[in-house]
Amino acid sequence: MVDIMGFIDYVTPLAPHLILIIAALVAPAIGMKSGKATEVFMIIAGVFAMIVTGYLMWTGYVGEFEGLYQFNTFTGLMSLLFLSVFILVAMMSSAEGRKHHGEYFALLAVSTVGMMLVCAAEDMISLFVGLELANITAFALVAFKKNDPRSSEAAVKFLITSGLSTALFLYGMSLVYGFTGSMSINEIIYHMAVTDPSVSYMVAIVVLIAGFAFKISVIPFHAWVPDVYEGAPTPVSTFLAIGSKKMGFVVFFKLFLLLFIAVHFLSQIDDPTAAMRIHELQWVFGMLAAGTMIVGNVVAISQTSIKRMLAYSTIAQSGYLMIVLCVGTEYAMATGLFYMIVHVFMKGGAFIVVAALAARGLGENISDYKGLSKRAPLVAFAMLLFMFALAGIPPLAGFTAKFFLFSSAVTPDGTWIWLVAVAVINSAISLYYYAKVVKTMYVDKGTTSERIRISGSFKLAIAICAIGTIIIGLYPGPVLEICEAAANAYIGGFKEWLFDFHSELFPPIP
Amino acid sequence: MEFIGLEIPFLYLLLLVPLIGAVLSGFTHKNRKMAKYVAIISSGITLALSLMYIYALSSGDYFDSTSFAWIDTEWIKISFALGVDGMSILMVLLTTLLVFLVSIFSGSESNSPNTFFGLILAMEVGLLGVFLAQDYFLFYIFWEVALVPMYFLISGWGGPRRHYAAIKFFIYTHVASLIMLIGIFAMAMMAAGGGPWVVGGGAVDFSFAAIRDAMENDMFDKVFQTAIFGMMFLGFAVKMPVVPFHTWLPDAHVEAPTAGSVLLAGVMLKMGTYGIIRICLEMLPDGAHAWQPVMIVIALVAILYGAYACIAQKDLKKMVAFSSISHMGLVLLGIATLSELGITFAIFQMFAHGLITAVLFMVCGIAGHNAGTREIPLLGGLAGKMPKFAFFMMFGFMASLGLPGLAGFVAEFGIIMAFFEYLAGTAYLWVIVFALASLMLTAGYYLWAMQRTIFGKETDRIDIKHVHDVSKPETLALGVLCALIALFGIMPWLVVDMLGPTVDMICHFLGVI
Repeated sequence: MVDIMGFIDYVTPLAPHLILIIAALVAPAIGMKSGKATEVFMIIAGVFAMIVTGYLMWTGYVGEFEGLYQFNTFTGLMSLLFLSVFILVAMMSSAEGRKHHGEYFALLAVSTVGMMLVCAAEDMISLFVGLELANITAFALVAFKKNDPRSSEAAVKFLITSGLSTALFLYGMSLVYGFTGSMSINEIIYHMAVTDPSVSYMVAIVVLIAGFAFKISVIPFHAWVPDVYEGAPTPVSTFLAIGSKKMGFVVFFKLFLLLFIAVHFLSQIDDPTAAMRIHELQWVFGMLAAGTMIVGNVVAISQTSIKRMLAYSTIAQSGYLMIVLCVGTEYAMATGLFYMIVHVFMKGGAFIVVAALAARGLGENISDYKGLSKRAPLVAFAMLLFMFALAGIPPLAGFTAKFFLFSSAVTPDGTWIWLVAVAVINSAISLYYYAKVVKTMYVDKGTTSERIRISGSFKLAIAICAIGTIIIGLYPGPVLEICEAAANAYIGGFKEWLFDFHSELFPPIP
Repeated sequence: MEFIGLEIPFLYLLLLVPLIGAVLSGFTHKNRKMAKYVAIISSGITLALSLMYIYALSSGDYFDSTSFAWIDTEWIKISFALGVDGMSILMVLLTTLLVFLVSIFSGSESNSPNTFFGLILAMEVGLLGVFLAQDYFLFYIFWEVALVPMYFLISGWGGPRRHYAAIKFFIYTHVASLIMLIGIFAMAMMAAGGGPWVVGGGAVDFSFAAIRDAMENDMFDKVFQTAIFGMMFLGFAVKMPVVPFHTWLPDAHVEAPTAGSVLLAGVMLKMGTYGIIRICLEMLPDGAHAWQPVMIVIALVAILYGAYACIAQKDLKKMVAFSSISHMGLVLLGIATLSELGITFAIFQMFAHGLITAVLFMVCGIAGHNAGTREIPLLGGLAGKMPKFAFFMMFGFMASLGLPGLAGFVAEFGIIMAFFEYLAGTAYLWVIVFALASLMLTAGYYLWAMQRTIFGKETDRIDIKHVHDVSKPETLALGVLCALIALFGIMPWLVVDMLGPTVDMICHFLGVI
């Protein structure tokens, strides 16, 4: 007799992932018959996975799968985020890959599963598996317009940079394994926190940072981003910008944020000198954050292609999010999660507008948007919302997110005030290029006044993003509360484990 | 608040009515005349509400407030807190009055009037919100919300260099408000004892009340107050603006449509001085004492530089724009004395300048529209063709240069008096000369400008045949403003009495009474 209930309990931590994998396996079969049906099927599967995740979070479920993957409020929240990215991207994909609809959606779903696995990973190996699952499928997606040389070029660039970053990560991982003797992320962090830095330790950390800096497009590893985003099919660019970059941040949270927390925690309970060890490392992150913001925003000003402009703005947003790593508190993490959620709606919305207009034959240069307010008033208004949200104009969600994020860096000792000042000035610089798009749409006169009508699924996706941008801006309370709960669950859980592990190794002297 | 036996939620209605008006006027693109009526009616209702509110408040100390929790998590508390006192209700009255009159004045706007009036009403929401907000988060939101419609007004309905002026205005003031934002974070974190994630800290509460309590409980030391005062002051100083942060103002004014200029100079500049009094003086009194000499120097430079720059201007509107810098410098001078008299008349000057400058910008707009140009050298002898215009221009200029009997004089007199009291008995009494010199400069450039435009020989450099006088709606708007300027010039106590309790409270925090 098969123990069905036992089996269900066994796989519950990975339930959302399994739903999406099953859907991805079925998708090519449906894709043989009808492209539209595949899209609808995948969206339904995504929503179903979201409902399951939401239910698990609502019941406060915490579970583990073989010590490799974990489900808690944090992974649940990130899964919801990636699933909503998946659904938004699926909605805007109806125009892509007319012949290979099934494969396209299957790849998209598998990539999403990879990102969700990274969030759930408790172990370096399972983290790496999730990472590669997300990456390898993403190469194929970037190259999906196989007759378009730009798409292929982008795919090759993406492949090479990703390959390099993976290699660096693996190298760092092997070094770390060398002097900690463990693959469990928690244990690695513990050993890194209590060890005095040696050369190999420094090399390992630098290599790990470099490996992932590619993923989150931090300077000086950002150069591939504009090329790939411009060349890839727009839905795939969207997917990379609002999805896979956040996976990189999750890895940073998992490795470095926890390291900082661990060091501060240990210095509180036991070893007062511990905090000094990572002091320089936090400054490295501060420098990277400041540089990324400045480069992203300043270069974005001179872009003429809207996709490149959005790519550089994505780089700048990475810089803002890096603040979380410098500050390294629960609150900073909560605000970082909040920023990520808002980013899905505002940046996703902007990309969807670009894709929707491109599907109707409008070019991808900013100057092609002249007089858009007359040609497609509602789409232009939505774009205005997204641009102002990205620039951080209240009362839109982008402002609220920046408000919380920047406020988290104003700590009583005032260490990161300079970083907030840099962020704030960058925020003002960014206003210039976002307002330029708005001006082009609303003030400049277009050459034609022919109406543009966009298709239904695009309309729905834009509406979802616009409503999200407004609602979270006006009433951020509930979302912020979930983010705080996630940060508490994640960091609180880690601290408990750390305390037990530490007192087991060094029993307190009675 | 109770009004003749009725419970009316004035604070919410003041924001809600113009918001509804803004949305409604956006839907009037089918019928081009409707937008104007929607704007006049909704801004009229708002004006009536603010008058009723003042009447209701006059039975007490002019204090009223309401609040509910907006974001209430474990770590952050933000409330939707609105409230008024004597100073903010006066600014509310100024805003509602000017928006109403501007709607009447701009009735003939023909370039997509639905968007135009929608933006004006949206700006009214932002401006009123700034004066009503009692929570930093809310305050900052309204502060920025007021910017966006102004950007579109300049960018969409402005003069030839409007794109440059609009983006300059937007970014300049946006940078300043972001610096202010850092100050807000620091105050809130400090008031919460470092935040809940620090041992002994509480939830971060952004409400005015919480921060004021923290200040009263001596949680802000002098160094902290001085540093934060600098950040907040920078944010407000750009908005006022004072020299050297003033360069956006002449551009924005010259390019903005008349309605935009009136609201920009009449109300938006007052957001800066309002912020200085409400936040810098009230929440950071030690910082105010530390910065007092700097404020006085900045104020004197602004007054003199503004007046001096006026003399050189050829564009009538640019001259009025620079005169605004000079007059706002006077407000800062009043504030910087940190005395009861100075602050009272600084607020009075904010109100009086709002009314007077509205007349001036309307007059400039009429000159540009009816005579075809605002260039002073091209004009001359307009009084013959445009007698009503000449009257309003003369009235506005006289009020602005401080003719006794008009509101401008009362304010200037009070501020100079307070400054004299501050200097008297010190070795720096001679500094008063700078303040007095500015009055002479002001009289000089106004009289000279008047001589060259409305008096003298009739010009032959413009097409004098097509010049026509002020239209009826414009006369109405200007007439109401002139009547009010005269009224408050003769009976300044109508306003000064309202300010008493507020100024007492501020001076109590400052420790000067």
